Amino acid sequence: MLTRRSFFSRVSDGLMGAALAGLLAEDLGASEAMYDLTPKRPHHAPRAKAVIQLFMNGGPSQVDLFDHKPALEKYAGQPPSRDLAAEVRAVTDTGGLMPSPYKFSRHGRSGIELSELLPHLAGVADDICVIRSMYTTHLAHEAALYIMHGGRIVPTRPTLGSWISYGLGSVNQNLPAYVVLDDPRGPPTNFIQNWQSGWLPSVYQGTRVRSEGSPILNLRSKQECPGSVVELSRGLLKRMDTRHQEQHPGSAELQARIANYELAARMQMEATDALDISGESAAMMAAYGLNDENTASYGRRCLMARRLVERGVRLVQIYIEGQIWDNHNNLRPGLEYACGKTDKPAAALIRDLKNRGLLDSTLVVWGGEFGRLPIAQAPGANVGRDHGPSGFSIWMAGGGIRGGTVHGATDEIGYRAVENKVSVHDFHATVLHLLGMNHRNLVFQRDGRNERITDEFPAQVVTEIVA
Amino acid sequence: MMWCALFSLMSAGVFEDQVLPILRARCFSCHGGTEHSGGLSLETLEGILRGGKSGSAILPGRPADSLLLTMVVSGKMPSGKPKLSEAEITAIRTWIEAEDYQPPVTDRHVTAIFSAKCWVCHGRHRKMGGLDLRTRETIFRGGKSGTSVVPGKPEESLLLRRIERQEMPPPKMQEQYAVRGLTDDEVEKVRRWILGGAPAEDETPAALSVTNDPAIRPKDREFWAFRTPEQPTLEPVEGRSPLDLLMEEKKALVPAAPDLTLLRRVYFDLTGLPPSPEDVEAFDSDKDPGRYENLVDRLLNSPHLGERMAQGWLDAVGYSDSEGGTSSDQVRPHAWRYRDYVIRSFNANKPFDRFLTEQIAGDELFDYRAAASWTPEQMELLAATGFWRTAPDSTYSTEQNFVQERMDVIAGQLEVLGTAVMGMSLGCARCHDHKYDPIPTRDYYRLVAILTPAFDPFSWLPPVFPCLGVGANCDEKTTRYLRPENNPEWRETLAFNAPIEQRVSELKQQLEDKAKSYREKARIEKKLTEVNLCELEAIFEPFKKEKAALEEQIAKEKTRLKPLPLVRALFDLGPDPPPTHILMRGETSSLGALVSPGVPSLLSASTREYRVQPLPHSSGRRLALARWLVHPEHPLTARVIVNRIWQHHFGTGLVASPGNFGSMGVAPSNQRLLDWLAVEFVKSGWDMKAMHRLILISKTYRQQGGQDGFPLRRIEAESVRDSILSMAGRLNTTQFGPPDAFKALPDGEVVTDSTRRSIYVSHRRTQPLSLLETFDQPFLSPNCVERGHSVVSSQALHLMNGDLAQENSRFMAGRIIDRVGDDESSQVERAYLLAFARKPTGEEMKSATTALKRMQAEWLKTLQNDKPAEPLGKRGHWLALATLCHTLINSAEFLYID
Repeated sequence: MLTRRSFFSRVSDGLMGAALAGLLAEDLGASEAMYDLTPKRPHHAPRAKAVIQLFMNGGPSQVDLFDHKPALEKYAGQPPSRDLAAEVRAVTDTGGLMPSPYKFSRHGRSGIELSELLPHLAGVADDICVIRSMYTTHLAHEAALYIMHGGRIVPTRPTLGSWISYGLGSVNQNLPAYVVLDDPRGPPTNFIQNWQSGWLPSVYQGTRVRSEGSPILNLRSKQECPGSVVELSRGLLKRMDTRHQEQHPGSAELQARIANYELAARMQMEATDALDISGESAAMMAAYGLNDENTASYGRRCLMARRLVERGVRLVQIYIEGQIWDNHNNLRPGLEYACGKTDKPAAALIRDLKNRGLLDSTLVVWGGEFGRLPIAQAPGANVGRDHGPSGFSIWMAGGGIRGGTVHGATDEIGYRAVENKVSVHDFHATVLHLLGMNHRNLVFQRDGRNERITDEFPAQVVTEIVA
Repeated sequence: MMWCALFSLMSAGVFEDQVLPILRARCFSCHGGTEHSGGLSLETLEGILRGGKSGSAILPGRPADSLLLTMVVSGKMPSGKPKLSEAEITAIRTWIEAEDYQPPVTDRHVTAIFSAKCWVCHGRHRKMGGLDLRTRETIFRGGKSGTSVVPGKPEESLLLRRIERQEMPPPKMQEQYAVRGLTDDEVEKVRRWILGGAPAEDETPAALSVTNDPAIRPKDREFWAFRTPEQPTLEPVEGRSPLDLLMEEKKALVPAAPDLTLLRRVYFDLTGLPPSPEDVEAFDSDKDPGRYENLVDRLLNSPHLGERMAQGWLDAVGYSDSEGGTSSDQVRPHAWRYRDYVIRSFNANKPFDRFLTEQIAGDELFDYRAAASWTPEQMELLAATGFWRTAPDSTYSTEQNFVQERMDVIAGQLEVLGTAVMGMSLGCARCHDHKYDPIPTRDYYRLVAILTPAFDPFSWLPPVFPCLGVGANCDEKTTRYLRPENNPEWRETLAFNAPIEQRVSELKQQLEDKAKSYREKARIEKKLTEVNLCELEAIFEPFKKEKAALEEQIAKEKTRLKPLPLVRALFDLGPDPPPTHILMRGETSSLGALVSPGVPSLLSASTREYRVQPLPHSSGRRLALARWLVHPEHPLTARVIVNRIWQHHFGTGLVASPGNFGSMGVAPSNQRLLDWLAVEFVKSGWDMKAMHRLILISKTYRQQGGQDGFPLRRIEAESVRDSILSMAGRLNTTQFGPPDAFKALPDGEVVTDSTRRSIYVSHRRTQPLSLLETFDQPFLSPNCVERGHSVVSSQALHLMNGDLAQENSRFMAGRIIDRVGDDESSQVERAYLLAFARKPTGEEMKSATTALKRMQAEWLKTLQNDKPAEPLGKRGHWLALATLCHTLINSAEFLYID
């Protein structure tokens, strides 16, 4: 009785290739889906094969980084409009409009205006596209993260990364399709919920890979056991399982299970190799900032991301500890710390991908869950800025993105997106589009309903930023 | 007609010359003439402005916010036809931009604003300043400061003035009460409402009757799942139960499985644990021809039955020990009383109709407010309503406690009700009429209205205890817990905890004192002010150590605290429940028609109508729902639970989509059998154990494994862990009570030191036990009626390299040696009995003992280098046997039942 419900029924990351596919087709009939990570055909010719998402938890302040607003000088100290006031979270310590303390200048042939906080990014300005008109619908980190990753303000939905690995699978079966490199200093807000697969099969959730120590959970045994004993045990196990399988002819699941034990062994080798950066040249390490305490940790993960993408990993997300961009107070030291940690490695990643000819096929995305308001929070020596969901900036590069461009604009003070507004759903549709998928057609049947990352929200591919 | 008068105001020329032709050509086939798809007619400006079920089609002057434009730009409309050309879209956009007409503002528009931003202080529970903003009458009457609204005269209306000056809602209270100030748009709406003479809208909910409901076609009610099941009559056949006869109508049965295979199968099915070697031997030597039936009866009375069955029910209702919804994923400290209630109910074989009624309306079954001291049975009734308290709930956070998030909690609970109890997916109807099943949004919000007396979106109680920044006092009125303060258990617990709490507060004071001196130091040495504890410990290494030591002491003290017997229940918040409107597109700012409480009209024909009888202490709306659900003629309730019982025993239900019996679900593989079982179940008095027994003693269940017989199935996540502990002789069978703690290791693995069954280990949404998660313990979103089923390499890694399997293999080996001594054959035999409930065959014995002896030799070689204190031989033999046990734990035969 192999007929199980088509959704959620059969998931495997082992025993890849034609043998199993053939076996399953026989067993299950064409209508039964097998959920695995074998490569899937995209809907149209893809521009990008892989994605590296540099996720910036906390809400980077657009008016201090990407979105120069000279008008704020003019209005400095004036009280905000009623609409802006209605969006303030911490009502009691609201101040007036506040200009950025940082200077902006134009960079590259394209002349993109960037803040002095991003000197390294300025060096690759012609490769990036800054979207200045992103907006989201919730002012709390958690809910805004849910929508940024899962498409709605509620938890428990599959994340964009899960949809991508569900839609495309992976070309390397010895490594996870969707890798999460989190910060050894601590988990991001919402933690594992940022890369969960929700009601998609668990094979599509992000695999947390640590950049220090054993990279994958239980990749190695914690208890000592002589190699010769392990070999004896594996031999006996293989004999037992083969005999058991012979008693259950035609069970693809048992066959997949045996293959899984073999995959686990291969993974030990390949994951270790992919994440071992000791073979990289000293110049390469320096370029990523590995020789500097401030940038070493982030640089290390950016370098690992490149190595993983080189080996066919579909999606790598790099997270930072907590929410370092959440500058409610101490705006200046906060931003300088966050930029100091990430600016150089992110720019190095773009250069490195470009030099290796990988940038064309690798989409790099930089951004957080929202931006910040152009008014002061807690005015005084430790002044900061509160959450601003109505308008914020992100940038994208490579993978079919038109470099050296700026898309959309916020209003005069950088509070609300007004021109060529890009919703989170538009963003999701665009990423999928670049990967060769149509967001309306990437569906998963659940309780008789077609589920999508964009749900039923109107979403449009931002074609203007596609090269 | 007001609409007509307004036509003249509009730039009718542009519309008629440039837009109407486009609409006529491209949209009228669905939105013109007699076709009003989605309730929308695009033939006239009046129709466009009135809009359809998703609200107005355009917002004059605001193309970006106009649904019509959004739909044609995205290409979602015209549905299934080519997209509009750029020129056509531009024409529509230009017209909307130029349009300056503003539709009149009515009661309904301002209710949407007042309910979300004012009612918390001027509504059901508080009437600050004597002002109640819920009805026209009370708004006009005003409060202590006088009249609040003078129709037609905005400038004389105090209400508007205070809003305009941003005095209301008071900025100081906005965060605490999770409201925000009014936007320009909203202020403008209130002004125009007053200016327009504060027009009212007819707000009487439409009366519905089964025979006359325009939303449901008679044909819709004919679908098999929406009609009361009838029990097929069968000619009796000797040696065949009706179940087997009905099964054989679809497929021939294969011969029975070997007895020991059956033994292992039924043990896992009913208890989630393997039989012990003694159980195996006793069964094997039992010569009674009824030994299998006796075994089934014995296991049905095992205390482990409830634990096993409860897991499936808890999945279905989405039970978790944490709130979810935010990063802090607040723990639900008292949720376990509901878990215990479920286990006890299954063990006591509570009739299912009773079981369901208690969960849906336990608080309405007796007047708990009037009872001086609740009996244990009454405590159970209140704990049962924990059924409604399972969905992820972020509303303890002031940032995620807006009306939208409150509606999300209600939506989560309705999804649980729909998929776990009714076999219907209701979620779609929250935003639009259900596309496939005849469930209009109206019926979704009628279900919402059943819950709003308790889940009042405008007078919301936070779900956590103690309160976190929401409201000042923690009592029945400010949190969603019941406090049995008159019960002896309450007083005893308080007395027990008092000295411990005293000690904790002393320790906290010590920490504060220490921090104070370091802050001083930070100020002088580093010129830093307002340094929080984390920053402080980052700066001063000694403080970090002192803080850690004190915190450890505090944590240790706290573990001694006994939990107060709080009940995480659902209960009415008093008389005068809020009105419930349809929310267009599910948006809390777009109110549609007012609705009264009710159930899907679609199902009413098959059973009696939903009728509410108000109770002295409660609205009675949920009790009416429960009575409606357990009506013997209800088409779904019995089918849905019987189907899940079938799924429990066979892996797949007779309806393979257990949460959706509707048109998009999977048709039943054997409807006659399903209906026979459902009717039999109701006739038996909804007897759960009788239903299990009926299935388990059937020939269908006893078939041998294989593609045509009983399906090969992997044991569930909890059984993997519990069985390993059981084989190691370490399973602690203590039942009930607060959940055991888990801990996160530095490498991210989440483990527990507990050796109790997995159902008693704390299940936190953000930190599930890694082993269980890997073996498909569901991520509850909000619930799960059918578990996923994965075969992934992380499972292999867990069992090969994980501590649980490795450590317990050593315990298992130790207990085997204690029992049978050093003889390898006896050791192998016992290991097989423990892991597979059978003895090894001759060939297996040879293969295993050979491997074991070679493992002994290899271990000895290694140990000779290590030179441990104990005798090498003993240790080597033990470790080798542990490796053998570890191999068995990794084998398919252990993980699968057939």
